[in-house]
Amino acid sequence: MLLPKEKLSEALGALAAEANVIAPVKWEGDVFFMPYKGGDVCLEGNGKLPPKDVLFPKTEKMYSYSIAKGTMTEHNDAAATILFGVRSCDAASIERLDKVFLEQGYKDGFYSAKREGLAVIAMGCDKPMATCFCTSMGIDPMKAEVADVQMCPVEGGFTVEAVTEKGKEIVKKWDSLLDKKSKAKPAKVECSLNINVPEDFEKKLMDMFESPIWDDVTKACLGCACCTYVCPTCYCFDINQDVHGDEGTAFRCWDSCMFSDYTRMAGGHNPRPSKKERLRNRYLHKLAYYKDRHGKYLCVGCGRCIANCPAHLDITAFAEKAMEVE
Amino acid sequence: MCDHNHNDPNHVCTCSDNPLVPQVCKVIKITAETPDVKTFRIQTLDGKKPFAPMPGQLAMISLLGVGEAMFSITAQGEDWIESSIKRTGMLTDALHEMTEGQTIAVRGPYGNHFPVDDCKGKDILFIGGGIGLAPVRSFIRYAIEHREDYGHLDVLYGSRSSADLVFKDDLFENWPKVEDLDVHLTIDRPEEGWNGSVAFVPAFLEQKAFDPAGKKVVLCGPPIMIKFCLQSLLKMGFSKENVITTLEMRMKCGIGKCGRCNIGSKYVCLDGPVFTMSELDELPDEK
Repeated sequence: MLLPKEKLSEALGALAAEANVIAPVKWEGDVFFMPYKGGDVCLEGNGKLPPKDVLFPKTEKMYSYSIAKGTMTEHNDAAATILFGVRSCDAASIERLDKVFLEQGYKDGFYSAKREGLAVIAMGCDKPMATCFCTSMGIDPMKAEVADVQMCPVEGGFTVEAVTEKGKEIVKKWDSLLDKKSKAKPAKVECSLNINVPEDFEKKLMDMFESPIWDDVTKACLGCACCTYVCPTCYCFDINQDVHGDEGTAFRCWDSCMFSDYTRMAGGHNPRPSKKERLRNRYLHKLAYYKDRHGKYLCVGCGRCIANCPAHLDITAFAEKAMEVE
Repeated sequence: MCDHNHNDPNHVCTCSDNPLVPQVCKVIKITAETPDVKTFRIQTLDGKKPFAPMPGQLAMISLLGVGEAMFSITAQGEDWIESSIKRTGMLTDALHEMTEGQTIAVRGPYGNHFPVDDCKGKDILFIGGGIGLAPVRSFIRYAIEHREDYGHLDVLYGSRSSADLVFKDDLFENWPKVEDLDVHLTIDRPEEGWNGSVAFVPAFLEQKAFDPAGKKVVLCGPPIMIKFCLQSLLKMGFSKENVITTLEMRMKCGIGKCGRCNIGSKYVCLDGPVFTMSELDELPDEK
């Protein structure tokens, strides 16, 4: 099935009439995932920021309380949302976040409410950016995990494939817009940035926990935490309170393992006191710890940390260097 | 999280099924243990136990308007839980200013627990230093309540001075009366009126020369004390599998999501806080 290019706005408009649609839109020179209000979407590149805040907002109210009344009111309102134009890398990150927030003993109520109401329309990626390396992380740019609908750019428009029941409901709404006779197939795509990490890379990394390589890779790091804020799979958060007299609201907000306060305990002890321990923890979480727990890398190769680091730190350059360590 | 009937339309509840939302409770009793440690007895507003933890499990305690932190649960009764808290930072300062009857919020219980089943039929040597006796006490109380399940019990405890000994009622009154249980106390420096041992905990432990046969060890205290006690225990012939300890890390969520309490691929709030020394050997050195 093919959705002709000129019908895309109409197709999104049909969805936006009934649900909250989030799509990549050009805003002040960069591409961001924003509520779709009609007009053109921008399908170039990956977007400045990943769409993870649809499921895991930068700041989120958890509950409000009144000390005098002794009451506690939970905030958890999630609207049904359709996320359009998600690349395979960002779609894979949703699968990685699902494992964290929905599994390992506790279901996170705030995340799960949003996740249940979410439909993902993935968009194949035919022009990977210079910093993209998703194929090295085992991801197919044209076939996304967790997609309810898979679309791919082809000559004259986009292929459309409903993957799940939720996806079928969406495609039904496009019935009159689709060219059902089209046999167009997406081309195979490879990234130009490649790293050939071995099967047991995590074991090699753990064996070099005390290696001087960590001092080298950390030298340029400013500890600004930009990498964690642009990362689609980073999920650390802080919990804090906003207090006004007798009443208050507890909220959670994105935090970063690159900050010294993150692990500093009452009394002053800090198990990760310098940038070296913090960057080592970040890289090992991406490439070893998460894999140990969930069987996959917590890096999806979107390249945002490479493109945005003010000190030009590059996780692929680190991986290459690590493979050379004896 | 609680045993309230949330489906009853007339039920007004302060607690939630969401593991990140605490229940509002009250502090019904505050005991000053030492100049800087107080024990807080906590109950729900309707006079119930907030939850029933296993020995060694944790509670996220928050003072509304101030903050939230993770503490070990040192004891529980029919309708209360207790945490003993040392004054060390902003939140604990505020907790120490509280009076009985004030509200407090709690959520939990979190983490794994002491291996109460694995220890069945064995002797147990409980070693504590300073406030480190607080988590150990939950297991001591459990072993006393299930006295027939365990062999000989030893409690070896030390602190800086006699004034800094926590749970004095237990140490001097309650525990010495328990059948087949010995309490061994020591303080760091000599002082007037103290006729007991004066030694650091590791040295005191070596003097006692415990027999490792059929014995499990539960060891909690400052990191430096744990390090030297472990060396002493290994010298006596204990194996690392039989030495159990608890870890501390900064925590925010308590359910393995917020990220910060990891050591390697383990989360202390979820996979801990209880680890054997041999399990700790498997983790990166980042404690």
